[in-house]
Amino acid sequence: MAKRETRRLSLLLAPMIIIMGAVIGWPLIQTVLLSLTDSDLMNLTKPAFVGLTNFTKALKNQGYLDSLKVSSLFALVVVLSEMVLGTSVALLLNEPFKGRSLVRGLLILPWAVPTTVNAMMWRLIYNPEYGALNSLLFQLGIIDQYVSWIGTADKALYSVMFADIWKNFSLVAMIALAALQTLPESQIEAATIDGANGWQRFRFITLPHLIPSLQVALVLRIIETVKVFDIIYVMTRGGPANKTRSASIFVYQEAFTNSRMGSGAAYAIIMVCLIMILIAFYLKGLSKKE
Amino acid sequence: MTKRRPYQSILLYSAVIVLVIYLTAPFLWLIIMSISPSTDLTQKPLRWIPSAIDLSSYESLLTMGINTRGELFLHALVNSLTTALFAVFVSLVVTIPASWVLSRYPGKKSLVLSAAIFTFMLPPIAYALPLYRMLSRLGWLNNSFSLALVYCTIVLPFCTWLIKENIDTIPYDLEESAIIDGASVARRITSVVMPLLLPALGTVALLALIMAWDEYFYALLFTSSKEAITLPVVIANLASGRQSSYNLIAAGGVIASAPPVIIGMLFQRALVRGLVQGGVKE
Repeated sequence: MAKRETRRLSLLLAPMIIIMGAVIGWPLIQTVLLSLTDSDLMNLTKPAFVGLTNFTKALKNQGYLDSLKVSSLFALVVVLSEMVLGTSVALLLNEPFKGRSLVRGLLILPWAVPTTVNAMMWRLIYNPEYGALNSLLFQLGIIDQYVSWIGTADKALYSVMFADIWKNFSLVAMIALAALQTLPESQIEAATIDGANGWQRFRFITLPHLIPSLQVALVLRIIETVKVFDIIYVMTRGGPANKTRSASIFVYQEAFTNSRMGSGAAYAIIMVCLIMILIAFYLKGLSKKE
Repeated sequence: MTKRRPYQSILLYSAVIVLVIYLTAPFLWLIIMSISPSTDLTQKPLRWIPSAIDLSSYESLLTMGINTRGELFLHALVNSLTTALFAVFVSLVVTIPASWVLSRYPGKKSLVLSAAIFTFMLPPIAYALPLYRMLSRLGWLNNSFSLALVYCTIVLPFCTWLIKENIDTIPYDLEESAIIDGASVARRITSVVMPLLLPALGTVALLALIMAWDEYFYALLFTSSKEAITLPVVIANLASGRQSSYNLIAAGGVIASAPPVIIGMLFQRALVRGLVQGGVKE
């Protein structure tokens, strides 16, 4: 390739590389450097180099380890539920029935509602005194006294998960439905003629056809859920008794509420490493299949 | 298709009804709350159908006045729009030529693409600390345009990924004939690739706009007052405030949801195709 062309190509890439460098690359390096200091948000004196102290402290901090557990549990339960619910709904909406296109159109509603609005909406629904959920369940005779859904330690995380699942299962359902629509009818018919029952048709024809799309949805959702912040922060701020404090919220509080930038950065770096391990596993799984 | 037995039809339609209720009830209730008089919403048991239609919450949010709720809300609405549009504009301008290089010269620059995908996966908290210090030193906190640049950390990798996948589907032959005609690189992009890319570009832009409109974390950190604060921050503040005018909070939510919900309903097919395209290879 001519030298001039190489230069021209670099020129086309340059603006993107500059912006990515400025808002992503440089800050990431700074975070690593910060993690080795005792930098403080409020204290403007030059921060001291403390080596790996922040990291050894982090790995011994029970609060942080608990927050990692909260994030993992959140990701696991939410993503699994969304995959199962999303796939089932996609299968349902692939059956012919009256008003199908209308229902399909409604499917995008939960996904389109902004995360903070979703959090606020469920906060109102879960309200311990005047919430719709309490009122509904009470009037139906399912509960005999009002429940504090996001105010009780053992219910809060699951209540938040339910709200997140409501919004994001619809993304999985839409992706799965789009894939189902490209499945040739003839394949199903051929299998039916060969005597395959409903379950066999699903297991050996529909599901294999769905898997590539479901993988996309799975990866998108795992990426989003392991770094969960917004929905939990708006609904509970990590409470009660830190039972819903995710890793992102923990780092945020350490760095900005307690103004300990240095150790906050160390917590963030550990999180990044864990996510990288997760990605590595995923990529390894992919290359094995190919 | 084989004919359904009666019990199968009943099952099917019951499932559909349950689904429709699940999909719409929470948001429908938000709308009902927003048009109820506030006294309706603090009754036990709850009043499901409003005693009267009361639009005062919308009025108070959408009326401009010095130091009123409406002032902050309307500013936030405009700020959200400005920030999202600017972030998406910058991302697209920068991403289109870059994605073209990444698509047409794979291998060579694949590092850039991996970097883009990698950053898509990282938690914002990993850059937030230095970004905060940087913006505060430059005096750029509480500014819509610097917030939009920060949004590029989210929007830019996403756009790169999707636009590159879309350019991949445009046959290179078309460009070859342009090369024979002596077209420069810039011409090849603007007159051969761009016209074919336009529909996909629209989809990517809409998805990116919805993404930026949704952003809360950076806005929470980097904005503090009406000059730059965005809707998600205002809504979150309303939600966690001690006040009990639930109809007002609900109205704020309905207004903030309107743009993405309307865009979503109008362009559902294209949006889903855009999202899936990024990852599914035939």
